[in-house]
Amino acid sequence: MSKLIATRAIRGAYKLVERAERELKKAIEEKGPETKVEFPNTGYYLPISYGILGLKVQKLKDLLLLLEEAKKLLPPLPNEKLWLPYLGHTLDAGMATLFADEIIEAIKYTQDPLPYLPESSPRDGFLWLGAASDVIMRERGIEFVDGTAPGFAACVGYCPTNEIAVKIARELQEKNLYVFMSAATEGKSMAKQLEEEGIQMGWETRLVPFGDDVTATVHSLGFATRVALSFGGAQPGDYQRILRYNKNRVFAFVLAFGPVDDEKHAQAAGAINYGFPTIADTDIDKILPTGICTYEHVVSPVPHEKIVSKAIEVRGLKITITKVPVPVSYGPAFQGERIRKEDMYVELAGTSKPGFEFLTSKNMDEVEDGKIEVIGPEIDEVEEGAQLPLAIWVEVAGREMQPDFEPILERHIHDFINCANGVFHMGQRDINWIRVSKEAKQKGFKFKHFGTIIHAKLHGEFGKIVDKVQVKIYTREEEILKLIGTVRKVYHFRDERLADLTDEAVEIFYSCTLCQSFAPNHVCIITPERSGLCGAYNWLDGKAAYQINPAGPNQPVKKGRVIDPLRGQWEEINKFVYNYSHKTLERFNAYSIIEYPMTSCGCFECISCILPSTNGIMTVYRDYAGMTPSGMKFSTLAGNIGGGVQTPGFLGHSKHYIGSNKFIRAEGGAKRIVWMNRALKEELEPVLRRIGEKEGINGFFEMIADETVAITEEEVLDYITKKNHPALSLPPMF
Amino acid sequence: MKTIAISGKGGTGKSTLATLIIRWLRDKGLGSILAVDADSNVNLNELLGVKLKETIGSIREEMKTMSSNLPAGMNKAQFLEYKIQASLVETPDFDLIAMGRPEGPGCYCYANNLLREILKCLSQNYEYVVIDNEAGMEHLSRRTVQKIDYLLIVSDPCPRGIQTSGKISRLLKELDTRVDEKLLIINRLKDSLPPSILKTIQEENLTLLGTIPEDEMLLETDQKGLPIWPVLRSTKSYMALDTLMRKLSL
Repeated sequence: MSKLIATRAIRGAYKLVERAERELKKAIEEKGPETKVEFPNTGYYLPISYGILGLKVQKLKDLLLLLEEAKKLLPPLPNEKLWLPYLGHTLDAGMATLFADEIIEAIKYTQDPLPYLPESSPRDGFLWLGAASDVIMRERGIEFVDGTAPGFAACVGYCPTNEIAVKIARELQEKNLYVFMSAATEGKSMAKQLEEEGIQMGWETRLVPFGDDVTATVHSLGFATRVALSFGGAQPGDYQRILRYNKNRVFAFVLAFGPVDDEKHAQAAGAINYGFPTIADTDIDKILPTGICTYEHVVSPVPHEKIVSKAIEVRGLKITITKVPVPVSYGPAFQGERIRKEDMYVELAGTSKPGFEFLTSKNMDEVEDGKIEVIGPEIDEVEEGAQLPLAIWVEVAGREMQPDFEPILERHIHDFINCANGVFHMGQRDINWIRVSKEAKQKGFKFKHFGTIIHAKLHGEFGKIVDKVQVKIYTREEEILKLIGTVRKVYHFRDERLADLTDEAVEIFYSCTLCQSFAPNHVCIITPERSGLCGAYNWLDGKAAYQINPAGPNQPVKKGRVIDPLRGQWEEINKFVYNYSHKTLERFNAYSIIEYPMTSCGCFECISCILPSTNGIMTVYRDYAGMTPSGMKFSTLAGNIGGGVQTPGFLGHSKHYIGSNKFIRAEGGAKRIVWMNRALKEELEPVLRRIGEKEGINGFFEMIADETVAITEEEVLDYITKKNHPALSLPPMF
Repeated sequence: MKTIAISGKGGTGKSTLATLIIRWLRDKGLGSILAVDADSNVNLNELLGVKLKETIGSIREEMKTMSSNLPAGMNKAQFLEYKIQASLVETPDFDLIAMGRPEGPGCYCYANNLLREILKCLSQNYEYVVIDNEAGMEHLSRRTVQKIDYLLIVSDPCPRGIQTSGKISRLLKELDTRVDEKLLIINRLKDSLPPSILKTIQEENLTLLGTIPEDEMLLETDQKGLPIWPVLRSTKSYMALDTLMRKLSL
């Protein structure tokens, strides 16, 4: 622990606390102590003071309390006799700095015009975004928790050249890290450098310019604090838990570029409290292991070409990120870019030419790892604007590989290829479509690089099951048309298997809370055998939606211990539903209409309800406007059961669920159906006949009444008695 | 990215103005343009002189009706994204997407949610997004558009038109879409602005960006059913628009 570095950090803290006091005094004089202060759209007040102290700052006068706390923490300046100042003092100075930063930043939000943009990306040449709203925090913070983004790099100062700034930003992006930029030195900052190079910034691209003031650095740590409060379940004021959560879960570090003044030293000391080390490109002395951060605390000087990998090493980031050896940048930040026709060099497959993507497994000795062949013209053999067919044929081998994994790996081809800068990919299987930009072509991107990407990423992400990968890229129609029939047969075979997917076969269901804007307490649980009640969403859709947007309304939910296998009740599902229904639903049965049935939002395709005297149920589709034997029309029924309330005897569900083996299994399944509106009955005829066959009921389809033969419960009972409907001989429903 | 949305009462020349703006942006060489036809009586493509493939509305309906018959192995999100990307009309000057009819009965939460994400993602690829809206601003109220830099409200030079524009401007407050600046454009002005109109503008609390004169040449081309796109640069309207657009920070 160097005295020099401690002295500078403590001196910086003093300067910032004095500045905060000065600015606060001025603000109170000018605007009055009752003036509202807040960061935009947040429920966490000023996040650091709220998290660390439990202080709810709402008015200018509240900042006086925070100022007091900051002053209390200020340690004495190390004097000449003290040769080894304790790290503890430096940490206190760091925390005092963060409080002072928050005071200064909060005062900025009382100014008119605001010094920060309210949106999520810079515009009109104005860079600075300031504190993130809770919407952004929730959207992005979850990525820290689920590991999509391991953490962030808080970059202060500026790089020696714009080129170095861009290179470091790209390198951090490729490692999925967020880049938070603040603290200009002599008016120069990394964010400005990126802007000058025309780099698109904003939360979407993970390059976030917070502010040019040194105090804007606090928004990085404020963000981290809110992640601990919202996702880590830490209580406001429980500073130990917040700091520990960040140390263990959020892989962040500070990159200091260029001269580091006292104030920046003080920020570094603040970050160490969270377990975030500082890595500098200039010689600013060091703080080596002493126990707060995982490894070293301050490391310098580190050359630019090594600074990112050094930071990752020092912070103890364990994830292995495969460097994809292609001549263009590669990372999730480049997903979702469309290559416009003007910028396009070549188009492959799509609507005008045939194509497909196919992955299959082979024996170990049949695959030569890393072998990539292009069969047909390469990119430099075709003219600009060309349209070509394209087949990507991947062969993998591995001791742990199973045919069931083939479609899963195959679906990843889309994400893999899309992450290349200048390459646009859509679709999958025999509906695929790729564009390569002129810029990518100019940088040396070739068709063979599709193979390179797939090879690297399959090893990187599925190394546990894949040992060898070889890829053939076909760009000639003749060969593709020869192969396409075979692969279509395989696709078909795989779909058949998928249809066999059961609730027992998976460990995870998906939630859907899309409809909570209408029914705040309703949670759909989507299982392989019970699709969402709107009919729009099945288990695979939920899974895919979660992959597209991990912070979205579809979350994976572990089943946990089975409480009731017949009725479909699981421990972890109950817990999830309890929490997400705002503690209104303690349990539910996925396969029952009588006992704790699943709730409905109001979007259901069908409603089933019991017809007590028939010992069965009726099912009506939402398009049917006529009367039903329940005495209510669809609209009245819907009004009674929507809104996230459990109504025993009534169930909203999808059409698809009727054909499921789990359809009200607790009550005996589809053979309870005694009435359906005619259109629905006709549409489901094949399904109902299949159920009849399976249950060994001759003419089951004909036994079900519809509006042409019965519209009251008595008429239904008459009809089914004549037909000897199986429901009559089932045990009573309740 | 900058978003310019054009709204106003039916028949005030919204689509014509949108076409003029696209031409102007293109001539200034300010960057790539995505034109969005958000009017349910899709016609922007005719003015621009291009053929439409599919509208978002028809894609959404297709997805709804085929529910379980999607191309094998493709889920709905992928299918929708693929179809939307493929529905773009691409020209060297601009790309065009048409929203088409708003939805029919049934539950669209899922489709609209997907749609929002996809459109948001798509529009980020362009420097300019120009949206030709219908008066009710259906798509704004459904938040298929996230943020608007300039909302240009087009009106005839008559007090009633100005009042309607005032209503549109107020309606916006109830919507979730963020609008940075709302500006009024008076179209088809024959002479100079009468004081009564200026008074109404004030009463309605509107900010006048400027006026565009009646343009016989454009009208004639339009009446013949010819695309106006090729002739725009030589029109009076274009000259007038040039002055207006220079006032915006684009």
